[in-house]
Formats: sequence, structure tokens, C-alpha cells
Amino acid sequence: MDAVLIFQSLISGIMMGMVYALLGVGFSLTWGVMHVIHISHGAFGLLGAYAAYSLLQYFGVDPIASAAMSVPLLFLMACGLYQLLIRPITRAKNIIMASMILTFGLAIILENIMALIWKADPRVLTPAYSSGALIVGPFYFQYPHLVGFGLSLVGITALYLFLKKTYTGMAVRAAWQQPEAARLYGVNLFQISMITFALAVSTAGAGGICLALLNSFEPHSHNLWLIYLFLVVIVGGVGNVIGTALAGLIIGVITGLSMAFLPFQWVNLVTFGLLMVFLIFRPHGIFKQEGL
Amino acid sequence: MNKYYPAALAILIILLAAFPAIGPEVYYLSFMFSVFMYVILASSWNFIGGYAGYLSFGHAAFFGIGAFATAKMATVFQLPPLLTMLASIPAGGIAALIALIVGYPCLKIRGPYFSVVTLCFAFVVDLAVKNIEYLGGAEGLWMKFMDLPEKTARTIMYEAMLLLMVITLAASWFLGRSRFGTGLTAIRSDEEVAETMAVPTAMLKIKAFVLSAFFPGVAGGLFAYYLGYIHADAVFSINISILIVLMAMFGGGGTWLGPIIGAVILTVVNEGLSTFAQAEIARIIYGGLFIVVTIFMPNGIIDFFRKRGG
Repeated sequence: MDAVLIFQSLISGIMMGMVYALLGVGFSLTWGVMHVIHISHGAFGLLGAYAAYSLLQYFGVDPIASAAMSVPLLFLMACGLYQLLIRPITRAKNIIMASMILTFGLAIILENIMALIWKADPRVLTPAYSSGALIVGPFYFQYPHLVGFGLSLVGITALYLFLKKTYTGMAVRAAWQQPEAARLYGVNLFQISMITFALAVSTAGAGGICLALLNSFEPHSHNLWLIYLFLVVIVGGVGNVIGTALAGLIIGVITGLSMAFLPFQWVNLVTFGLLMVFLIFRPHGIFKQEGL
Repeated sequence: MNKYYPAALAILIILLAAFPAIGPEVYYLSFMFSVFMYVILASSWNFIGGYAGYLSFGHAAFFGIGAFATAKMATVFQLPPLLTMLASIPAGGIAALIALIVGYPCLKIRGPYFSVVTLCFAFVVDLAVKNIEYLGGAEGLWMKFMDLPEKTARTIMYEAMLLLMVITLAASWFLGRSRFGTGLTAIRSDEEVAETMAVPTAMLKIKAFVLSAFFPGVAGGLFAYYLGYIHADAVFSINISILIVLMAMFGGGGTWLGPIIGAVILTVVNEGLSTFAQAEIARIIYGGLFIVVTIFMPNGIIDFFRKRGG
């Protein structure tokens, strides 16, 4: 095997993995903190990607700016959705299952709205620098990939600092570890759930834009993204932000390498097979379950 | 449940069986065919998903396995029409066998993890079939249809699916009233306690899972033969899996009647929507249905109306 090829696919795997990680952390948080498995998480990412696509196409807005804009917008939208849809089912006997079915419906709605607006053809985000690449020795890094990677890194770091350093972030972590105790100490669980959900959705939007810089997308792409989300979150451990980020990198590297050495259609099979094996043998992830 | 209940049911079945005799249009026969099919799918899902509370999100995999096994047997052995229809029974057996192999490790994990692993299983089977040339690959498999006038052929298929539905529902009925079914309900309520009370949980779960895979396998075989052409997208679609779960939950999981009502209502709604609305709009309404059901009828439509009725 060619050492340059291996190293190159390793690097692109890491870049991809960082994006998976950004998409995955929100999914992991909603699952861990709220016991909501948010099936439409990927669809919100796709919504971000389409919004960025239109902004670039008609107004020439750079995806970086779109990502920055989409975060507060999606945050507000998600707060509304939480009050309208998620809060009513938090008292359900089996909230995990109820949330899966409900958000599956939401994903269908989003997918078809996107199909109505943007049609079913595959799209690519092509900012002005899309054809450029950074060349270092025998390796080359396409600028869009670098931008996606950088944005993801910033997003995850911001989320991590928020959870570690701010009062609200600490409340979110408390609600994950000991909901009852957190409530006794005056944490409003509904409010925390709303913030968690909104944070997750807005990071999904940013993550979707990053992923759109790397791959083409179409209205039903979110189904495939969802499998990656499950993979990242289950390998990393539900609710574990650092674990999710590391798992994203690992999975990125695995897919990067399998893309280089396997026929294209077998890559997803490898991924799904991996997920099944993980679910059966290590459903709680590869890392020791600890706070954050 | 009063004593007239079985008699009313028998009359209903006879009426359904006699339906083709009044000479309806082929469209109605096809429509009823798909209603029966979804009743079979939802009711068999209910064995593991409803009674035992293990929500499988990959039930369509068994449906598809049955379909492809039948199509493959029919083309390899050059089977005549009647034998092709009978070949769906061993095809159901193949689906059950795969359920046994997959179920053994998968049923050890619980809750959402079980749902995700079954979802993933459905994806893996779908991709594998699409990439294996022997099973038709990306092009699918063609089958020779029976050499009869269309209406006669459709009537035969209608009666076959009706028979399968009656058998499935009978199995579901006996399951709900047996020690087996009670054991499964105990697993749903609290698996640890059931285990402590000497309920052989692992054995019961795997039995229920295998049984719940057999019927969709046979139905898949009939469906494949009915279409005359089978492609992975038609039978392995993740939407079918989710639809089955929704039908059972919509009617009321863990009851005998729930999945039947859910399957009938949702098939009618689906048919109506796809006839009168644009595809995307229809699906948006459909997605909205998921949301309404989960928020307003978390325990299914039967429970909803029972409570309303007081």
C-alpha cells in the first residue's frame, strides 16, 4: 500500500470525523440529558445545509457566515418546537420510544418540505474557494474540507466550554447525571431540556453546513446521516461530549480508510456492520462512563 | 368480549372470502390485498414489539427476505404458479431462521439499543441484497406471472393473502391468551422481575422474534409474486419498517385488536392521500400523523376511545 495514500485518507478521515463529531454531540446530549432520541437531528442539519446553499446561490453569503447566522435562528426555532412537540411527551411512560416515533414524523415532514422547496436533485456547496487546495509536500487539502473541519472544531470547543464553564452548562450536566438532585437544587428541568434541545438543533445546523462542504446532499440524505449519528453516539457513549468527539474522529478515520481501499458501495455496509457489532458487544461505548 | 364475538368474526371472514364473487374491480382486490398484507405485518410485529415491548425497527427486513427468497426459488427451480405461492412458506422459514441467528445476540440488548440494532440490521440486509449480483443486485428480480386472466389471478392472490391473514391473527389470538403471551407481557412490564419469577425470558423472546419473522416472510413471498418484479427498494425500505411500528402503536400495541385497526386505518389513509394529494404533501400529512398520534394517543386509538367512552 502506498504510504502517501494511507496518510492522505487518514487526514481526510480526521476532517470528516470532526464534522461527524459536531453533528453527533447534539444528538448525544438530547439523548443523554432529555432521554429523547432525536431522529430528525440529521434533517435539521440538512436544513442548515440547504439554507446555506440558497444564501450562497442568491446572495453570495459565505458558508461560514451562514453557519454563524443559522445557529441563533435554529436555536429560537428549536425552542418553539420543544414547547410545541417535545414537552407534551416528556410525561409519556416511555419517552424514548415516543420521542423516536414523534421525531421520525418530524423528519418526514422536514424532508418533504425540503424536497418541495429545493427539489430532489443532489446539491453541493460551492463557495468561491471550493476549487482551491492547500498543498503540503505530497499531500493536498481542499479548502472547503479545511473550512468544514475548522468550523466543526470551533463548534465543539464552544459547546464544551459552555458545558464546562457556564452556570447553565453545569445545570445541563447536572440534569444529565442526577435529574432529581438537580431539581432539588433549583434547576428548572424543563428550561434545561429546552436549552439542550435548542443547542443540539443549532449545532446540527452548523454541522450540516460543514458536512455539506465535504459531501453532496439531497433531501433524503439525512437517513444516512442518522446512521452515522447513531454510530458516533453509541461508540462514544450516550451523553458524553468528549467521547462523542473522539468517536467521531475514529469513525471518520475508519470511513476515510475504507473509502480509499473498498469499492464505494461497501463503505456503508462496513459502517452499519460496525454499528451492529458495537451495539451487541459494547452498547455503552468504548469509553468509561464519566461526567461529560 | 361477549360470546357473539367469535361468530361475528367468522361471518366477517366468510364475507371477506366471498368478496371477489360479487365481481369487484381489480383495483379493490389490490387494495384489500395490501390491507391484508399490512394487517399481517403489524400483527406479527406485535408478537415481539407489542407483547414483549421490544420495538423492532427492522421488521421490513423479514418481509424483504421472504420476498427475495421466493423470487429466487421461483427462478432457480422454474416453479409453476401454484408451487411459487407455496414456496413463500419455506421463504418464511428462511426469514425465521435469519431471525433466530440475528435475534440471539440482538435480543440481549434492550430499549432503544434494540431498536437501533434492528434498524441497522434492516439497512445491512438492504445494502447486501443491492450489492449481491446473485440476488438481482441493483436491477432486481423478475418472475413469471400465472397464465390466467388478470382478474382470476388477482382473486387467487387475494384469497391466499386473506388465508395468511386469518392464520396470523389466529396465532396472535392464541398468543395473547397463552402462558407464552403472559410471559411476554411480563417481560414488557419488568424483565428483571419476570426473570426472578422464573419466566424463561431469553427463550420466550427468541421464540416470539422468530415467530414474528415467519409471517412477514410468507407475506413477502406472496407480495413478490403479486408484483411479478421485486426490487430491494420496494421491500426493504426503512419507511415500511417504521410504518409497521406506527400501525401497531397507532391501534394499540400489546393488544390483539390494536394492530388490526391501526393497519386498516393507516392503509386507507395512505391510499386516500396518495390518490388525492401530491406525493410530498401526502408525506408531510403522513409525518404529521406520527406527531399527532404520539402526543394525543400515546397508548393507541383503542385506549383513546375506551377512555373517552368512560
